[in-house]
Amino acid sequence: MGGGSMPEEGGRGKRKKSLDAVINVIPAIDLLSCCITFLLYTAVWTQIARLQVQQLGAGAPEPETTEQQKALMVTLSMGERGFGLSTSSGTSIEIPALGRGGDGAIQFDLRALDEKLKLLKNDHPDQAAITVSAEDTVSYGDLVQVIDSCLAAGLVAVSVTGV
Amino acid sequence: MPIVQPGKRPAPRFLRSKVFGGKMMKGRRGVNADLNVVPMVDMMTMLVIFLLQQFSATGEIIFMQKDIKLPEARHGQMIEVAPVVAINATEIAVTGQKVAEISDLESDAGYLNIPALEERLRDEKKRWEFIHQRDPSQKWDGLVNIQADRKVPFRIVKRVMYSCGVAGYFTINFAALDSGAGLAAAVPGASPESG
Repeated sequence: MGGGSMPEEGGRGKRKKSLDAVINVIPAIDLLSCCITFLLYTAVWTQIARLQVQQLGAGAPEPETTEQQKALMVTLSMGERGFGLSTSSGTSIEIPALGRGGDGAIQFDLRALDEKLKLLKNDHPDQAAITVSAEDTVSYGDLVQVIDSCLAAGLVAVSVTGV
Repeated sequence: MPIVQPGKRPAPRFLRSKVFGGKMMKGRRGVNADLNVVPMVDMMTMLVIFLLQQFSATGEIIFMQKDIKLPEARHGQMIEVAPVVAINATEIAVTGQKVAEISDLESDAGYLNIPALEERLRDEKKRWEFIHQRDPSQKWDGLVNIQADRKVPFRIVKRVMYSCGVAGYFTINFAALDSGAGLAAAVPGASPESG
């Protein structure tokens, strides 16, 4: 414990006064116990993220876009065959699906998509908008992963629409 | 009270006093033991720090449900307070109240909207407008959280999105489990509105 010693003094008969002090930690323990109870009660254990998208159609307001974004429209379609990445400048890239999994779900080639999106972003650094067009059979999990890939590539203005 | 022998019973302070040189102890050893509470205080302090790091002022916006397995995402942002549309394999619920069944939606696949969902969301919007009617600084942002099971097909999600749009909710947040290095706060330039 943090104590201190008195400096040596000349007098013989003088008693040294102890500098050790006892701190009452009971109130501190009470306070900490209350804090722990409150924080345990209000703790949020699951970290849930959100992927923000705009929807096209249905009377939705047009997302604000710059002139350059208007000049280049990037569309990513996803369906039974895989991905189709196309731009208004004429670029069209097909990324075929890897097949079907054991549960019958489509296995998308997300790694190839990541690379293509990064290349696209390198070619058009100011481009931030992308439209994801999904078929009805695409699952929510696959859609979320594709949106996540778009965000990873820097295409943060994601719009979602059906085919 | 224990039964004690009659005789001198000095106060504990005198009993331990160095002035008497332990004469009062009469050979007895003290039964009081000092408990070292310092490690306990250390542990509690660390617990409080850890729990404070986990603390979220907004609380739990989306509750995990047994029948909804969320997909994982690495680049999501922190979830915001908004109505939650939960979609599992059998039903659609808005903030815990069931509004539609998936089997009914599959049978009338020709329609795109879900009237009960629209009505519920309109009620939520009216409530928001009533609460903020005297607060002109608050602008309607049309934010809605969609919490769907990872296997729910897009044809259902599409109809939910359409109904949200018809009810005035155009900005949609897809909920996902964060698997990245922490959630990014909403920063300007990272949101779809800012382009």
